[in-house]
Amino acid sequence: MKNHNNRYARHYSLKDFGFEGQQKLAEAKVLVIGAGGLGCPVLQYLTAAGVGTIGLADNDVVSLSNLQRQVLYSTEDIGRAKASVAAVKLQQLNPDIIINSFKIMVTSSNALELIADYDIVIDCTDNFAARYLINDACVLLYKPLVFGAVYQYEGQVAIFNVPDAEGNKTNYRNLFATPPDPLEVADCNEAGVLGVLPGIIGIMQATEAIKLLTGIGETLINKLLTFSILDYSSFVIDITADESANSTIPKNETEFKATDYNWLCGMSSRNIQDLKPNAFLEKINLPDTIVIDVRETGELPKANFQNLNIPLSALSENIPEIEANNIILFCQSGKRSLKAGQLLLEKFGQTKNISHLKGGIIALHETINEQTR
Amino acid sequence: MAIKIIAFGQIAEITGKELTVEASDITILKAALQVEFPALAEKKYAIAVNKKLVADNVALSDNDTVALMPPYSGG
Repeated sequence: MKNHNNRYARHYSLKDFGFEGQQKLAEAKVLVIGAGGLGCPVLQYLTAAGVGTIGLADNDVVSLSNLQRQVLYSTEDIGRAKASVAAVKLQQLNPDIIINSFKIMVTSSNALELIADYDIVIDCTDNFAARYLINDACVLLYKPLVFGAVYQYEGQVAIFNVPDAEGNKTNYRNLFATPPDPLEVADCNEAGVLGVLPGIIGIMQATEAIKLLTGIGETLINKLLTFSILDYSSFVIDITADESANSTIPKNETEFKATDYNWLCGMSSRNIQDLKPNAFLEKINLPDTIVIDVRETGELPKANFQNLNIPLSALSENIPEIEANNIILFCQSGKRSLKAGQLLLEKFGQTKNISHLKGGIIALHETINEQTR
Repeated sequence: MAIKIIAFGQIAEITGKELTVEASDITILKAALQVEFPALAEKKYAIAVNKKLVADNVALSDNDTVALMPPYSGG
């Protein structure tokens, strides 16, 4: 037997998989974007399965609230870069494969170069800006994309950009042509997620990648699977190719690179400054500054610094006169504060300096907790 | 025509998981839902008729099943 590696013995003996299937995995190059709840199981299983080259891109650090579902990390890893920790642990799991670790945020300026080197991309990110960016990049580069996303107790899985038997291929824009307003959707930070859910959905993404690479079974090409862990119900729909959806995708590399996906998805605004937690704490006590909590009255956690509570719902009705020239807004996760900033910008224009706490009070508390550990 | 609706995620939080609506096409169905659930007006969701995604208005027949599927972003 050639190239027998006992590590893969159960694959060799598997009907319809065997040496041939294992060889296909060994020759494959798979890029996993996001090493969080979905990314951990995807990376672990593809590493164990012997995918020859695995790229992983993540710009986040491990935090305590990640450990409920991101099972690749340990308590002692808190504060360390996920890309570095994951690379070490995955290489320990399987030293026979190549792991390329990128401690970067995937943006429109680096995505095409990054993705071009791989055969398949797996989207394990946690926000719409990244999801639309990855989708569009994969469309431009004709790369198969294994999509996965979760919400509370349900997950979605799909394969995009792979032609079916009739030669039709679809992408995320066929489902949702343009991004939703950030206020209408909640992420894991706000809506919560049962820890096992991204585990299950991530393993489904890894399964689809393996099926795609080795040609076994029926894949979710041009289909969207919605799976509920509450009753194990699954609902599969056919996604139909519709050229009009592609009109929202940048036409070429230049247009793609000029697209600001954070702005497009309402996650940043050109005239509202994003403040990271430490910058926020430095700025709130400066003179001529007002700090406004735009959450509804009584929302927890309470802020332990001086602020004025004007809920977003009240700001939408009426914006009061504000004397201070520096306005700092915050809310739970940074979405409503950005929306409030846009309302203030409409009223005050550039006469005031408007900034907001990116990631909201959740991010602030996580930063404080990590710094006092 | 009685149309069975299955809702997912945040849409189900507004409408409930399953309901029945009288409508002869998708435009009428969406309008009827918005009257009953005004919060739907601000929501984005994909629509599938009998498990096939539809992008435009299509006619509905008795006992069709329409799925309302919002985008998920968590990971």
